Order: sequence, then C-alpha cells, then structure tokens
Amino acid sequence: MEKAIVLGCSALGAGIAMIAGLGPGIGQGYAAGKAAEAVGRQPEAAGTVTRTLLTGCAVAESTGIYSLLIALTLIFVNPLVGML
Amino acid sequence: MDNLFLSLGYMPFISIDWTIIAQLLNTLILFLVLKKLLFGRVKQIIDARQAEVDKMYSDADAAMTEADRLKNLYADSVAGARDEAQRIVADARKTAEDQSEAILDEARTAASNMLAKAESEIASEKKKAVNEIKDEISDIAIMIAEKVVEKEITPADHEKLIADFIDRVGE
Amino acid sequence: MNGPEILFYIPIFGGLPVTETLRNTWIVMAILILLSLWLTSGMKMQGISKKQVVVEQGVKMLYQMVEDTMGKDKLFFAPYIGTLFLFVLFSNLMGMFAMRAPTADLNTTAGLILIYFMLNQYFAIKCHGLAGRLKGFVEPIPVMLPLNIVGEFSTPISMALRLFGNIASGIVITSLIYQALTWVSNLVFGGITAFPVFAVGIPAVLSIYFDVFTDVMQAYIVTMLTMVFLAMAMD
Repeated sequence: MEKAIVLGCSALGAGIAMIAGLGPGIGQGYAAGKAAEAVGRQPEAAGTVTRTLLTGCAVAESTGIYSLLIALTLIFVNPLVGML
Repeated sequence: MDNLFLSLGYMPFISIDWTIIAQLLNTLILFLVLKKLLFGRVKQIIDARQAEVDKMYSDADAAMTEADRLKNLYADSVAGARDEAQRIVADARKTAEDQSEAILDEARTAASNMLAKAESEIASEKKKAVNEIKDEISDIAIMIAEKVVEKEITPADHEKLIADFIDRVGE
Repeated sequence: MNGPEILFYIPIFGGLPVTETLRNTWIVMAILILLSLWLTSGMKMQGISKKQVVVEQGVKMLYQMVEDTMGKDKLFFAPYIGTLFLFVLFSNLMGMFAMRAPTADLNTTAGLILIYFMLNQYFAIKCHGLAGRLKGFVEPIPVMLPLNIVGEFSTPISMALRLFGNIASGIVITSLIYQALTWVSNLVFGGITAFPVFAVGIPAVLSIYFDVFTDVMQAYIVTMLTMVFLAMAMD
C-alpha cells in the first residue's frame, strides 16, 4: 500500500516536474524570434546567428533537461521506493 | 531495488559506476588513435600540400622578380644604347658641322684674301696705268708744248688743249 | 524502462559489470578506427581520389571551425574536438541501428565531460597561473565566490546531463511510440494477427526527428560548447 502511494506520487511528481518544460520553450521561442530578426536585419550573418542561436538554445535547454531527468528518474529509477 | 535490476541483468536507467572510468579511458584511447591515424595523417598531407603550394608561389614570385629585374636591365641597356647612338649621331653631326664650318670659313677667308689680293692688284695696276698715262700725258704735253712753241698758239688754246686731253685720258 | 543490459561481470573488485554501453562503445571505436584507416589509406599529394577530397575537406572544416571558435593559438585542440564530435555523433546514431546508444548512459557522457573538465582546469591554470586562476573566482566582486565555484562545476554537469537527457529521452520516446503503435495495432488487427502492423514504417519517420536530428544536433552542440568553454577558460 505504501509502495503504491509512493509510486503514484512519483508519477505525479514526474508530471509536475515536466511543467519546467514551459520555461525553455518560451525562452527558446524568444531566442529564435530574436535570431530571425537578426537574420532579417543582417542576412549575411545568418551562419553566425544560427550558430549562436543553437548554442544559446542548448544552454537555455538545461533547465528543461534537468526537469526531464528528474521525471525520468522518478519514473524509471524509483529512488523513493527504496527509502521505505 | 538495485539488486532487483542487477538480478534481471540490467543496470539502473540513471547510474554512475565504474563504467565512467572505462568510458573515460575508451575516449582517451580513441582520441590518441584517431589523432595518429586520422587527423595527424590528413593534416600532414594538407600541410605538405600547403607547403608545396606556398613554395610554388614563392618560386613563381622569385621567377617573376628575376624576370622583372632582367626586363629592367634590358630596358636600361636598350635605353643606354639608344642614348649612346643618339650621342654618337649628335657627335658626328657636330663634328661634321664643325668641319663644314671650318671648311666654309677657310674657303671664305681664302676667297676674301683672293678678292683683296685681286683688288690690290687691280689698284696697283690702275695706279701703274694712271702713272704710265700721266707719264705719257706729260710726254705728250711736252710734245704738244714743243709743237705749240713751234706753231705759236695762244696760252688759252694751250690750256684748253691740256685740259681736254687730261679729261679724256684721265677717265 | 531499463538501463543498459549487463552482458557479463569482470571478476575483480567484486565483479565489474560490463554493460551494453561498453560493448557499443567498443563497436563505435572499432568503426571509427577502421573508418579512419580506410579513409587515410592510399593518400597522395597529387591526383587525389574522391575519398581523400572528402576526408581532407572534413579535416579542413574542423580546423577552420576550431580556429573560428577558439582562435588561432588553440588549433592544437582540433584533434580532440574532432574525436569528441565523431565519437558523440556515432554513439548517438547507434540508436538508429537498434542498439542502445552509448551516450544514453550517464557514465559515457560524464566520462566525456570529465575529460573536458580536467582539460579545462589544466589549461586555465596553465594560462593564468594558479594565483590568477584563484583570483578569477573572486571577480568581479568577492561576494560572487560561491556563485563562481558553483558555476565552475555546474557547467560540465549540465553539459553531461544535457547530452544524456537528450539521447535518453529519445530512447524513451521511441520505446513509447513502439508501445503505442503496438497497442493500436492490437486494437485494430487484434483478432487477425498479433504482429504490430503499425510499428513497421511509422517509427522510422519519427526517428528522423527524434534520432537523426537530435543526434547530430547534440553532437554539434556538445562539441561547440566544449570549444567555447575551453576558449573562455583560457582567454
């Protein structure tokens, strides 16, 4: 019974953790918009802008990846069950 | 829970174990091998070709410089030859002019000398002739005077006669 | 969802598990070494083959990229950067051939980033001296000291987790898609055949995004970030 509660709460926690996916989504969208503006203003710098955008997106993605890893850990590794 | 996974023959989804050391060593080995086999060799070829191209370029540059130098040299020598020729021609022309001038001067001098000589000869001849005529005139005058003395002419006639005569001869 | 399968134990230190990850890493290493042997065989100065043109162009691009990103004085990093890119790329792409990608194991990415971390520390100290390096922690103001120390460690940790998270989530999503398609197949054709009909072509299309795009992207990003952070630590 206790195990079932912990498992269920872990699943809920995983779902809640993925709310953090909002942040990178908004941030990357904003960055991509700015990059599009930059390319529109300076089409000849498209290569550099794209490179910077990708690197920046990768860094902005970090929080999303953290939440994803927490969700994955909660679902697949079940660390809380071991604490019972 | 770990034991459950291990007994099933699976590692946990997220775990850190000795594999991290193995992977680190794997990556290092791969790096060393690839550095030697792939990047080292390819980079060597690229560098060698680059060096060859650079050498060809520098050789071409050197050849170009040499050609330029020779070209300048030839141009200089051609210009020198032209100057020399001009100088020779100018010299020759000057010499010729000088010579012709000298010849002309000489001729002119000779001519003027001859002229002067001729003139002086003419003058002396004339003088001689005048003197001879004067002598003759005086002879004639004496003769006339003797005749006048013989024929008894008036002094006026006498005078007129002499004047006429002199006039006619003295021309 | 399971972790990498344990193949056998090395009977020292109480049994070291040799996992799928290690086996696939060795496969990747073998592929890369054989590939580089094949690519560099018969290289000539003149009258070069198409193969040599491709490999030379690739190496030139790598050196150009390192020069653009890190500067001319750090060109000696190029072989390491190239190895990192090739290893991560091929490891990521293993997932397409029904093998567990080595980078879907935190050990692999942590090992890679551990090398980066050691390089980073070594060259930072070499370039700035130990005193200059320690002084860098209290800049611009001494209050920043804890943040700087955390930042020093969080960058490599986030790099390792980013690569692992992307590839592992790709595996999770692919397995979820298979499960969903099998479920739909059973729902539709359940009475006729147990074979998951929908699971034949559709995952291939989806894997173009979840595998190929993400794999190449992540290989590029981890290489790029390594270059940028190394150059930042040295300048």
